Amino acid sequence: MPWRLLFRNVLGHPVRSLLTIGSVAVAVFLICMLHAVTSGLTRTLSAAASNRLVVQSAVSLFVDLPLSYQQKMAPVPGIEAICKWQWFGGRYEQDKGGFFAQFGIDPETFLPSYPEITIAEGSYDEFAKNRSACVVGEALARKYDWQVGQTVPILGTIFTRNDGRPWEFTVAGLYKSSSASIDEQTMYFHYDYLRESLETGGASGPQGVGVYVLRLAPGTDPLGVQQAVDGMFENGPQRVQTTTEAEFNRQFVSMLGDVPTLLQMVGGAVLFAIFFAVLNTMIMAGRERTRDLGVLKALGFTNGVSAALLVAESLLVCSLGAGLGVLLGLVLEKPFQVATAAFIPGFGFDTNTLLLGAGIAVAIGLLSGLVPGWRAAKLTTVGALREVG
Amino acid sequence: MAAEIDIRSVTKTYHRGGEALRVLDELDLQMEGATFYALMGPSGSGKTTLLNLVGGLDHADSGQVVVGDTDLTDLDGSGLARWRAEHVGFVFQGFNLLPVLSARENVELPLLLAPLSRQQRREQAERALELVGLADRMDHKPRELSGGQEQRVAIARAIASDPQVILADEPTGDLDRTTADAVLDLLQRLNRELHKTILMVTHDPQAAGYADKVIHLDKGKLGRIDDNRKATGTGGRS
Ligand SMILES: Nc1ncnc2c1ncn2[C@@H]1O[C@H](COP(=O)(O)OP(=O)(O)OP(=O)(O)O)[C@@H](O)[C@H]1O
Ligand SMILES: [Mg+2]
Repeated sequence: MPWRLLFRNVLGHPVRSLLTIGSVAVAVFLICMLHAVTSGLTRTLSAAASNRLVVQSAVSLFVDLPLSYQQKMAPVPGIEAICKWQWFGGRYEQDKGGFFAQFGIDPETFLPSYPEITIAEGSYDEFAKNRSACVVGEALARKYDWQVGQTVPILGTIFTRNDGRPWEFTVAGLYKSSSASIDEQTMYFHYDYLRESLETGGASGPQGVGVYVLRLAPGTDPLGVQQAVDGMFENGPQRVQTTTEAEFNRQFVSMLGDVPTLLQMVGGAVLFAIFFAVLNTMIMAGRERTRDLGVLKALGFTNGVSAALLVAESLLVCSLGAGLGVLLGLVLEKPFQVATAAFIPGFGFDTNTLLLGAGIAVAIGLLSGLVPGWRAAKLTTVGALREVG
Repeated sequence: MAAEIDIRSVTKTYHRGGEALRVLDELDLQMEGATFYALMGPSGSGKTTLLNLVGGLDHADSGQVVVGDTDLTDLDGSGLARWRAEHVGFVFQGFNLLPVLSARENVELPLLLAPLSRQQRREQAERALELVGLADRMDHKPRELSGGQEQRVAIARAIASDPQVILADEPTGDLDRTTADAVLDLLQRLNRELHKTILMVTHDPQAAGYADKVIHLDKGKLGRIDDNRKATGTGGRS
């Protein structure tokens, strides 16, 4: 195999080779990022716990439920704990353009309902004891360089304080999560702190609960609880819809439209475009080399070597491109993850993402190389030299 | 002396648009080893076709082509490729060097097919280039060489793996007189000093004058064979 000829052929057309490598790199980068998004969503969905149910308004996720529902649901057999969640929608004073989620929750039931959460720094007890305390995800703390004990000013958008000042939460602990169902980019504070501020007139905003998360006792049939809760509020004042956590997440994701399918279609289209671009380039390269291939055959190189030269060239160019694309993805993975954590849950590369990148390189490289390679193999010296010469 | 190249009743027909064109018609021709032959004839008389058959680039429809002690009609495509790598060197009118490779790398190319180390390949290529007088142009790319130099590199490539037979199809067709004479001198030296059997197609009577014998081909049939050595008594010009 004349390797040097192979490399010289690639280097002999630096602009063309660079353009091909560049376009494969961009395509592979894009597809890896899209894959990281969809696989992140899938991971989040599949990480949902089966012993948690979510009770939301039957009208929409954006309609609050009455506070009184908690007491009414409590006696339903199988419910072990109830945790309120309320979307706060605030902005960090120091980074108004940035965005992360804040939720008001019940500290007594929150941690026991979410065993995937562990406190990495500070103390959950401190959090539970202090009304205006909060716990924040490690990644979020790192992003803003928050320390335990620090007070963080958050501007309310839905819930505003009547004195016009920002809300202040004291960081009592940083948490880690071992599951994609809970990200490490969120702030959790006392629901009751919010409620009291509203009740005492210190702040204004809607009074109610976004969703109730029910933790089921081991061995409980979720369907029974679902039906019991839904039935309980059948006649109002506010009808509810109880779903498993998996179903809830799926709904949440599908609010973005059918994002995974859309992304897959975009990825597929990019793949096709790039395949034809590379194929076209390789066919051109193969045609240009007609005379060279004829000479090689006259010298005694076999049809196989002639074909292999073109296939290998195509593979080489595509692999370089894919390598570059994956590298770019790996470099940008973390920044992208931080920037999008709030609206793209679970974004991240995994082995499959890298395999996908490598697979694309091999597939495009092989297919685009085989077409001119096939022609090169069939070419006769006599024909090749007559054609051009 | 046994014939180096033995063409026995060879027929080659091309078909184009339902029309059959018999390019070689039961041709019989014996050529001796270590002899420089020129092959002349009008355009379309089948010279290139004959050269391709002798070089194992194409198959005859019938008859036998025996070179050395190999009957080429017995070999299939890859068998012919292997045989070519070892036994023949080609020189073309258009030089046909690979533009992305240097002179040395072009000459090394056929040696990749021989069981040689990197070092041996390099040395053998350099020796061939020295032989054609291009020791100082080894690292030049074809486009940095003159036509005559390019053709000498091509000749170096043809002799690099030391084949017994060299086939040249109008090797001086694209060269001016002086340059052509230098290339012809070189071919003559390869025959005289290294005892190569050379078959060279040419339209140029002066070029044919460098050969030992001139074969005339007309419409696929063998014409007369002139012996320059008998004619001049010294064996051609120079
Ligand atoms: N692949 C082919 N298909 C059809 N006809 C062909 C093919 N190759 C050659 N011929 C025809 O065969 C005849 C002999 O061709 P060949 O190339 O051997 O002639 P030549 O003597 O070398 O001519 P020239 O001096 O012009 O090179 C020509 O008429 C040519 O058109
Ligand atoms: Mg010809």
